[in-house]
Amino acid sequence: MGVLSSPDSVVAGGLKERKRWNFHWYEALAGYGFVLPAIVAILVFTIIPIFIALGLVFMEYDILSPAKFVGFENIKRIFTDARLGNSYLVTLKFVFMATLVNNILGILLALGVNRSMPGIMKYFLRTTLFFPVLTTSASLAVVWQYLMATDRGILNYLLNQIGLASVPWLSSSSWALASVVIYDVWRACGYMMVLYLAGLQGIPESYYEAAKIDGADGFQLFRYITLPLLSPTAFFCVVTSIIGASQVFDNAMVLTRGGPQDATRLIALYIYEKGFKGFEMGYASTISVTLLIILLLITLFQFWFSKKWVNYE
Amino acid sequence: MATINPVRRIELQEKSTSGGFKGRSITRYFGTSILWIFLIVMALIEFMPVSWLFANSLRNPAVAYNLPPSFLPTSWQWENYTAVVFSPQIRFLLFFWNSVKIGIITTFFTLLTCSLAAFAFARLKFPGKNILFFLFLATLMIPWTVVMIPNFIIISRLDFIDTHWALVLPALTSAFGIFLLRQQFMSLPEALMDAAKIDGAGYFRIFFLIMLPLIGPGLSALGIFTFLGSWNNYLGPLLYLRTTDNFTFPLAIVTLQGYMGTGNRAHVLAGIMISVAPVLAFFLLAQRYIIQGIAITGLKG
Repeated sequence: MGVLSSPDSVVAGGLKERKRWNFHWYEALAGYGFVLPAIVAILVFTIIPIFIALGLVFMEYDILSPAKFVGFENIKRIFTDARLGNSYLVTLKFVFMATLVNNILGILLALGVNRSMPGIMKYFLRTTLFFPVLTTSASLAVVWQYLMATDRGILNYLLNQIGLASVPWLSSSSWALASVVIYDVWRACGYMMVLYLAGLQGIPESYYEAAKIDGADGFQLFRYITLPLLSPTAFFCVVTSIIGASQVFDNAMVLTRGGPQDATRLIALYIYEKGFKGFEMGYASTISVTLLIILLLITLFQFWFSKKWVNYE
Repeated sequence: MATINPVRRIELQEKSTSGGFKGRSITRYFGTSILWIFLIVMALIEFMPVSWLFANSLRNPAVAYNLPPSFLPTSWQWENYTAVVFSPQIRFLLFFWNSVKIGIITTFFTLLTCSLAAFAFARLKFPGKNILFFLFLATLMIPWTVVMIPNFIIISRLDFIDTHWALVLPALTSAFGIFLLRQQFMSLPEALMDAAKIDGAGYFRIFFLIMLPLIGPGLSALGIFTFLGSWNNYLGPLLYLRTTDNFTFPLAIVTLQGYMGTGNRAHVLAGIMISVAPVLAFFLLAQRYIIQGIAITGLKG
């Protein structure tokens, strides 16, 4: 606060003083006061923790005994840990499938719900499609465990009714990840729908009218007006989906507990396991820092990429 | 397609006069019906688990496993609910209270700290403002997995393990909330604040009496999502809470499932239904508002 002028100089120098600093000392003081609670909270529980995490990369720490400096041991270990490689592969598959399906369904649902229809129908559709978003993911995962049970599960019963064989949804390593994706899509596609709906409704009606006068048909309207003008929304939704899906924890934790045989050991579950089951906090932090770096690179890449295909108005 | 909007009606008329109407309309109605089938199938898929949950929470526990499954209630055994709520082993009302308490405290403080900071960032001038705001925005890019372990260490150093402080303290503010509310404050006319200043109101008064009431929609959207986030939080309680009496709802339900084993599925489902019902009821009442809130918060985030 050394830059602040004293009250005396404000009284004496009045306008001149304000021009020099472009703020008033009392206003600045109020500003700092207003920001202070948030700063303290974010400092203690976000910014300091980042530095602790970076420090732990070079440490061995199990919370009970004092931290031990181990140099680059944790970093070396990353490159030889086969389970970590598997975990990243599983996460990559999950992120790809979840992002793709959520966004495609989100766009289609938004296009459907955006049509003119009776108010009650709109209310019904929006309620049923959106409600799962608000439910507790851990509790509903318990419900889906019952639905996806191999024997006497509801999904398999329905499959059998239409003449298909039962699927070992959660108990086979080839199906488990797909099941976690299905559950994720069930919860999240309504959210995507709402975001795309907002994007659709932001497109001015006059553009469509103008194109129709020029003789454009339904597909052309979609291809040359809806799609380009929806691209900022789509970009935002894809970025959010990728970043969100790479940190999914509750779904897999309750539904499959990472199994069978690490088939659904998403990276967040692996960090949790290393940190809180094995108490290898140094190594767990090292993994989380690799995730941080990867997500930052993805974000940078996406913003560079967006300049190429997003049409901002 | 009971109603045809004016634009489409004009379009239909134009097509009919130009002669190409018939062929177009067949493909149009084909496309429309596919879209409708898709919508209805999706609505059923999204609705089925919840209706199955409700129907089976009311079944006799002895037949809860029986197939075929019922998606609409076949019996109304409300005893399942009383059995869960008043069970001697699991103190369900306590879990409910824990979740409500943590949710309310978290929401209150998040709204307070976020709106204060957002007001300063939007309307006050002070040195270092832009750097501080950038710092807040930058924290949005930090995955929670990075701060999970350090936070656990901090909380255990502060000796808050197995207390509700462990869940409240890290959630006292939200960088996203500050960003959202700052947008809301910036959309208010500048003259409003100048007028209040001329009338001699201090910054605190301007904030509480003039500015805050005007950003009601933003506040309630942030409030709803903060409360829901806290209500649905599973990882935090999983990490920090040890004593069963301290458990919150999501943790209690996952435990309930293990505790009671597979024998009492109807009871587990009744427990889940109790945790979902308040959210569902609230959503049915405030549906439009919540969806608008998501649209604001989502697209500007």
